[in-house]
Amino acid sequence: MTTHTDPPDRYTGPDGDDEQLACGRLLSGVWDGWEQADPDPHRATCPYCKDAVRELTLLESTVRELREETIPGETGYDPSALTRRVMDVVRMELRPGRPVPLGDDDEDLWVMEAVAARTLRAAAETVTGVRAGSCRITPPDTGRGEVTVRLEVHAPLGVPLEEVAEEVRRRVTGAARLRLGLRPAAVDIRIVDLVDGPAGFEEGPGDD
Amino acid sequence: MSGVRRQIAFPGPERAPDAAPSRVSGEARPDGGLLTVRAAEGDEEAFAVLVREHAPALVGLATRLLGDRAEAEDAVQDAFISAWRRLPEFRRQSSFGTWMYRIVTNRCLNVLRARRPVTSLEAAGEFAAPEHDFPERLTEARDAVRGMRRALDDLSAEQRACWVLRELDGHSYEFIAETVGISQEAVRARVFRARRCLTRALGAWR
Repeated sequence: MTTHTDPPDRYTGPDGDDEQLACGRLLSGVWDGWEQADPDPHRATCPYCKDAVRELTLLESTVRELREETIPGETGYDPSALTRRVMDVVRMELRPGRPVPLGDDDEDLWVMEAVAARTLRAAAETVTGVRAGSCRITPPDTGRGEVTVRLEVHAPLGVPLEEVAEEVRRRVTGAARLRLGLRPAAVDIRIVDLVDGPAGFEEGPGDD
Repeated sequence: MSGVRRQIAFPGPERAPDAAPSRVSGEARPDGGLLTVRAAEGDEEAFAVLVREHAPALVGLATRLLGDRAEAEDAVQDAFISAWRRLPEFRRQSSFGTWMYRIVTNRCLNVLRARRPVTSLEAAGEFAAPEHDFPERLTEARDAVRGMRRALDDLSAEQRACWVLRELDGHSYEFIAETVGISQEAVRARVFRARRCLTRALGAWR
C-alpha cells in the first residue's frame, strides 16, 4: 500500500489487494472462512490455504500481545483531570435555554429553566428512594404568570405510589414557591420506573 | 427488579393524564438513563457524572485507535464537548455509552485523516531486518508488537479504525459498520486490507 486514501465509498468487490492462491482460491475468502470457522475440507488440506491461514494466525498472536499491552491501561485510568477539563469548557458555554417567570406579573424577573429544574429535582430527591429525571417548567402562553411543572421520577418499589407521588409533589411545589419564587399552577409527577431502593417515607430536608 | 418498567402518571389537579410515552427507555441502567435525560436538559452535574464514568473506557478506545495517550485524551475531551452540545437532540435510541463510542471513533478517524501520511519508504526502513538477531523469544515478541505498531501507522485512517474495532475491541462487522457509518462489505474490505498490510509488514520484519 503506497496510499493512505481509500477508493471512493464503494466496495469494489475482491480488490486489487486480494490475491489468488496457487490452488485458485482467493486469499480474502480463505481468511474469511477461517475467521467464520466455517468447515472446509479443502482449506484443511491444501498447502497453499494452510500457508495463508498460518500467516494470519501468526498475525493474530502478535495482535494478542498488542491487545494485552493496550487493554489493561484503562482499568487504572483516573478520569479526574479529563473530567475537569471537559467541565471547565461546558460551564463556560451558554447553552440556549428557556427563561421562566419568577414573582408577580408586573415584575421582570426570570430564571433559566435548567437552573430552576435543578432545585426542583433536588427537592424531589429528598423523598427516600426517589430519583428525578426530566423536569420541564412551562411558562404560560402570555409569557408571565403561573407555570406548569412536569417531573419524571423513578420511585422505590414497595411503597404506595400515589403516596410517593403526592409527597414528591408537595416537596417540589414547596421548593418552587419558597426557594425559587415560581408560581406553579400545576405540578405533574410521572413515575417512569420502579427501582429497588430504600422503601418507606422518611422526612428528608423538605422545604415546608 | 429494575427491569420492571411501568409508567404511571399523576397529573396535578384538573389535568388529564398525559398518555405520551416516556422518553426514558431502553437503557440498561436506569441511573444512566436518568443522568442522560438530565444532562440533555442542561444539568451540568449530571453530565459530569457521565463524563467521569465513561472516560476510562473511551480513553482506552481512543488510545487503541490513535496509538498515543495524549492525543487520545484530547480526542475524548473534544468528543465530550461535542456531545454536550448535541445532547438536546440525542434521541436515546442507543445508550449514552454507545453514542459516545461512536462520537469518539469518528473524532479519532478525523485525527487519523489529518495526520501527515508516513511515506511507505520510511516505513519500509523501519521494518528492515535488524542488524543482529536476538534469539530470545520474548524480545522477538516485543519487537513484533513494536513492528505492528509502526505498521498500523502505515494504514489508512479507515483501515486502521475498522481493524482496531474488529481485532482489539472484538466488535462484529455489523457494529463497526453502524459505528463508522459505512456498509458491512466496506468494513470487511478494510479489515482485509489492513490484515494484508500487517502480515506483509510482519513478514518483512521476520
